[in-house]
Amino acid sequence: MKKMNLHLVALMFLFGSFISCKKDSVADPNESELITTVRVKLTEKLSGVQTVYEFKDLDGVGGAAPSKFDEIVLTKGKVYDCTLQLLNESKTPADDITLEVAAEGVDHQIYLSASDALAVISNYSLDSKGLPLGITSTWTTAAVAGTGTLNVTLKHKPGVKAAGDPVSKGDTDISVDFKLSVK
Amino acid sequence: MKFLSAISFFLLFSAFVQAQCILTISGNVKDADTRSALMGATVSIIELKRTILTDNEGKYTFSGICPGDYTLRITHADCQALDFHFHLKEDIVKSFQLSHAENLLKEVVVVGATSVRPEGMTGELKGKELAATRGLTLGESLQRITGVTVLQTGNNIYKPVIQGLHSSRVLILNNGIRQEGQQWGSEHAPEIDPYVANRLTVIKGAASVRYGGDAIGGVVLVEPRLLQYKKTVQGEVNLAAFSNNRQGVLSAVLEGGFDQREQTSWRVQGTVKRGGNAKTADYWLKNSGVEEMNMSAAAGWKKGNKNLELFYSIFNTRIGIFSGSHIGNLTDLENLVRAAVPPDYIKDEGFSYAIGRPYQFVQHHLFKLKAFSEEIGKSRLNLIFSSQLNIRKEFDITRTETDLPQLQLNLQTHSADLVWEHFSAKKIKGSIGVNAMYQDNYINYRYFVPNYQSIDLGIWAAERYQHENWQVEMGLRFDSRNRFNIKDNDKQPYDLLMGNMLVPGDAYGKRSFSGLSGTGVVAYKFNENLRTSFTASTAWRAPQVNEMFSNGLHHGAARIERGEAKLSPEKAYSVLGTLIYNTEKWEAEFGVYNKEIQDFIYLKPVYPALLTIRGAFPAFDYAQTNASLTGMDMRLAYRFTNHFQTHLKASVLRAYDKTAKTWLIQMPSDRYESDLEYSFIDGRKLKQSSLKLGFQYITKQTHVPPTGNIKVTDLAGNTTMQSDYMLPPDAYTLFNLEATTGIEFKKRRLDVVFGINNLFDVAYRDYMNAFRYFALDRGRNISLKIKLPI
Repeated sequence: MKKMNLHLVALMFLFGSFISCKKDSVADPNESELITTVRVKLTEKLSGVQTVYEFKDLDGVGGAAPSKFDEIVLTKGKVYDCTLQLLNESKTPADDITLEVAAEGVDHQIYLSASDALAVISNYSLDSKGLPLGITSTWTTAAVAGTGTLNVTLKHKPGVKAAGDPVSKGDTDISVDFKLSVK
Repeated sequence: MKFLSAISFFLLFSAFVQAQCILTISGNVKDADTRSALMGATVSIIELKRTILTDNEGKYTFSGICPGDYTLRITHADCQALDFHFHLKEDIVKSFQLSHAENLLKEVVVVGATSVRPEGMTGELKGKELAATRGLTLGESLQRITGVTVLQTGNNIYKPVIQGLHSSRVLILNNGIRQEGQQWGSEHAPEIDPYVANRLTVIKGAASVRYGGDAIGGVVLVEPRLLQYKKTVQGEVNLAAFSNNRQGVLSAVLEGGFDQREQTSWRVQGTVKRGGNAKTADYWLKNSGVEEMNMSAAAGWKKGNKNLELFYSIFNTRIGIFSGSHIGNLTDLENLVRAAVPPDYIKDEGFSYAIGRPYQFVQHHLFKLKAFSEEIGKSRLNLIFSSQLNIRKEFDITRTETDLPQLQLNLQTHSADLVWEHFSAKKIKGSIGVNAMYQDNYINYRYFVPNYQSIDLGIWAAERYQHENWQVEMGLRFDSRNRFNIKDNDKQPYDLLMGNMLVPGDAYGKRSFSGLSGTGVVAYKFNENLRTSFTASTAWRAPQVNEMFSNGLHHGAARIERGEAKLSPEKAYSVLGTLIYNTEKWEAEFGVYNKEIQDFIYLKPVYPALLTIRGAFPAFDYAQTNASLTGMDMRLAYRFTNHFQTHLKASVLRAYDKTAKTWLIQMPSDRYESDLEYSFIDGRKLKQSSLKLGFQYITKQTHVPPTGNIKVTDLAGNTTMQSDYMLPPDAYTLFNLEATTGIEFKKRRLDVVFGINNLFDVAYRDYMNAFRYFALDRGRNISLKIKLPI
């Protein structure tokens, strides 16, 4: 029967090891991954007037609906300087994801496009290899009024970013269609 | 060409050699425990339908037999059949020992002495058939059984689908223990090393009350060989190599025992596996490698009528998820579907063993303790304890450098079973049991399913009555399933029960279900050649935690799944009929079934797609409907000569949504398989050689909803409204070749299986592969499997 007891001891150890490997809380790596807010800052070149538009979804993909989704309103026949800001506002203070995207510029690319020829977007800022990154850009609005959408897309393409990449290449980190109105 | 002429030579040669029907097989049968001769044991040659009883010295003799492959079956009183496969070319003298204890044990391991197991509704893989699947995953291996298909995610994740049902509707018993992993996910493969088993059995339909009434689809049994209480140490080494993804597998088992005052037995087993990127007919699949490392150990002890068995196994796998399947949003998916091939920078990557993100890592521990005490031939009491720990980690592509997963699930399960089996009355056998199970799921990182605990209790009884050619079996089971402490960690998820935000750490509450399930089987034997059976059963399945409370993004799949907390259990009412006809030339199994499933739980697409910061996402909500599944499984074998035979298999299924009055999506299409097999006469060195050429024809799934809410643009630019992002793929035909032989040297036998799957490197997609949107299925795969005894 001694053998039996040894078995039982071994058994207890096993049960013990199962229960003890529980609930080790580590910092959640997903928190730094989350992007909750896309902020589009537009400065009209002549007047220097700045307007800010936002898309905000605090709990990320799924769950509750976006809490803020602005319509971008611009004046026809004008030139704007655009600066994008990407934030994680689920924590305080908010994380500025733009800094991270800029630091890893060679793996990222921002695409901006206006529907219905409402604006021409050019002068995308560059990454360290001289390829377009797009954190800042210049927008020239159409001469006639109209409504449509303005798409902001952030692509992640580690190791494969090249000149002339179409918007379909890589993984989509952000794709937001703002309503756009040119008056 | 040399190969072909060799085959035709053998064919010709065999025609001359035939018909020397003068051979004899004889021997005696003993009781393994008492070593005394066993009188009145039934010995039969299955292929020839010849049966005799042993005389009072335990002797048997068959004479006037033609050369060929046969199976000898020996049965006695309460023992289960013992099968012996042999190749006859000269007279054979073979003696057998029947052990009461061993045979009772075998029966319990299999189905708890409860089930009649009508042959047409079960399928088995063992011996030669199992050897040909070595190195493959459990799901792939089971595909050889008629009526079993797979739900595939890429080329490493295979889930068995039994008559159209899978995941939590299919119960997998690993060494007699309910496998408790995260079975609910379609890309969560069973965490089992198939090398542990020497037999794989599938019980189709809800025909077993022994293991829980929730197996609406069926039960898969993964059964190891019984422990050997012999003094010798023995073992075997298995090697398998595959050309397609340059995969190698090494598995070894060693076992032995001591026989002093107390009898003990032990066994250790281990498997390592590594494969790289798989190749389709046209390109490589980047990041589709796999790594696996498994180990198991078993020990047995017996004294008098008391027995104790211990078993432990650990399973580890790391599976790469094909890079081309990683999409950001709906637009990405539509772009990929339209392009019909993966982007160049993924497609042109070539071969590599490297596994990068996205990948999954899964670890599964199983510990089992079984004690039993028996009065031979009368009754037996079993007590089984088991513990399982399942750790699942999913690693996504991240923007920031990290070693941590994005999702982790830790599932602990502890269960206890008490089973009383009685063989007392001659005509009635049966068993009664109680079962208790405790479970704890703990999540980390991203939310997909909640933390929960659960306590399940079950009580069941199954009795079998046998009289002349009739056999009747009844089974009844009551289950109570309670889930509590359902909650997220300390975050604030959307409260699915109440529809508002939760206070941090608060519970969703608890959900309890209970109900009855039952089975009735009547089987009748017309004569030695023709048998039939009819089964009627009811079963119910409590909604799983993911079906009630999932809320989030599915791993790499760019889709959102949302649970419905108010789901009620689904209830299945099934009828199955089988007809079996066996003669010397013919072997036929025919089964038809109908399952009416009330409140069938499924994922219902939501329109329009959900708006997120990453663009539009397809969303699915769990919903219920009434479903009807009707189908037919058939297997035919015809023996032209002792050397030449052919098989034909067919599975047909129609799955209908009675509420929406349309077909159910994601159901396997009809499949037909056939092969031609030639068995060679034994040579001096080569034994039991055979050559098999087979083909599979899988039809296009046309039984899908004719219209839907998804706008699909074809290559010509025409748009139609469909129920899926891609129309079901076309029908395809695959040819396979398999050659097996046993090489004898120094009284040992080296078994070799050489195979080629997808012989003509056909480019195809399968409707049941979740990656059909992104890439072709696997191309030609040449394999070599070697089994070496030590």
